[in-house]
Amino acid sequence: MPFTSVNSRMVRAQIGPGQRMYSQRGAMLAYQGDVSFTPNIQGGQGGIGSMIGRRIANEATPLMTVEGSGTVLFGHGGHHIHVVDLTGETLYVEADRLLAFDGTLQQGTMFMGSQGGVMGMVRGQVTGQGLFTTTLKGQGAVAVMAHGGVIELPITPQGPVHVDPQAYVAHRGDVRNKLSTALGWRDMVGRGSGEAFQLELSGQGTVYVQASEEKL
Amino acid sequence: MAQFRLQGSKVLAVDMTGDAVKAKNGAMVAYDGRMTFKKMTGGGDGLRGMVTRRLTGEQMEVMEVKGHGTCYFADRASEINLVQLHGEKLYVEASNLLCTDAALRTGTTFTGLRGASQGNGLFTTTVEGSGQAAIVSDGPAVVLRVTKQYPLQVDPGAYVAHTGDLKQHFQSGVNFRTFMGEGSGESFQIRFEGEGLVYVQPSERNTVGGEL
Repeated sequence: MPFTSVNSRMVRAQIGPGQRMYSQRGAMLAYQGDVSFTPNIQGGQGGIGSMIGRRIANEATPLMTVEGSGTVLFGHGGHHIHVVDLTGETLYVEADRLLAFDGTLQQGTMFMGSQGGVMGMVRGQVTGQGLFTTTLKGQGAVAVMAHGGVIELPITPQGPVHVDPQAYVAHRGDVRNKLSTALGWRDMVGRGSGEAFQLELSGQGTVYVQASEEKL
Repeated sequence: MAQFRLQGSKVLAVDMTGDAVKAKNGAMVAYDGRMTFKKMTGGGDGLRGMVTRRLTGEQMEVMEVKGHGTCYFADRASEINLVQLHGEKLYVEASNLLCTDAALRTGTTFTGLRGASQGNGLFTTTVEGSGQAAIVSDGPAVVLRVTKQYPLQVDPGAYVAHTGDLKQHFQSGVNFRTFMGEGSGESFQIRFEGEGLVYVQPSERNTVGGEL
């Protein structure tokens, strides 16, 4: 567990020899010890192949590699930071919400349309997430940024969870998501509740929701 | 002695019994009792201070608040941190200084290149004496201790203030990759050495060095 919370908007990371972390560029606030920050051309791991994938997917958040031994404080733009501990499952999150994460985690990109077909693509547009999202898989910790605090809602096979797409931050586990529309006749005649779209998550896992409808 | 209290983390309450405090112009949000507000020209350290401020560009619009009762101060919902000074010097950006005991002396000091990198000019404000001061930060600040064995490097945009006997100098983390056009966004840091405390906020001001 490399991240400890300093306050709601700052995390401290311990790094030792042989360990490696990735963080968003410029997210270091202060450090003590002998730590180096190197920019990654390809934004994380995966070499050139994944880099091309990322360029097309537009999920290329500039990252830097953090190595050495010491303690580093991370924070960015005064956003709230939520630490997610992964134990083998996959976390789906927007690249620009990643503050820092363990180097042991496997990074990938996922095409939104592969879940829910056309609606999946619409979903990406509605949530402002585009067509691709970043995946992190394995054993390790991830520090995710959010606007306002974050709550974790469990998703069980018995009960799907509905989330306002704008308040959605990330989710983990074996979860299917689809965009459900609640367009009634009222919306048609111009008395919309402002909640016309909802994100329906079903399966087994956790969804992270922020206390705000603002993007980062 | 005026008593400084925090109401929540974003409002400062100062209890006064006929004494005075210096505060950022316009930072009063409410008061009870009887108060007078007087604008102090040039940061309130006399004619010499005014001249230095004019020359250094470390502008500080200060008012003197005097009276009996409680005065409440806030600054754009920024977090407020209380600092208790026992004769040492507090170095802080003028924009981050909210309120000080009237007994504390304020002045300016030369910071050199560091200030320029932060877009704050070459000078910073000092507060000296015994009493309380309140500084604002963008998000809750942490106080990091620097010792002889443990120097500290801080992102210039996240630096708020420091106290104690610290030497600071500017270091660049530029390596060949940076020249290859891939900056890490951490090309410059302020390195603090010595014994003291540094206040760091969880947000980065836009700095010249921050883009590199």
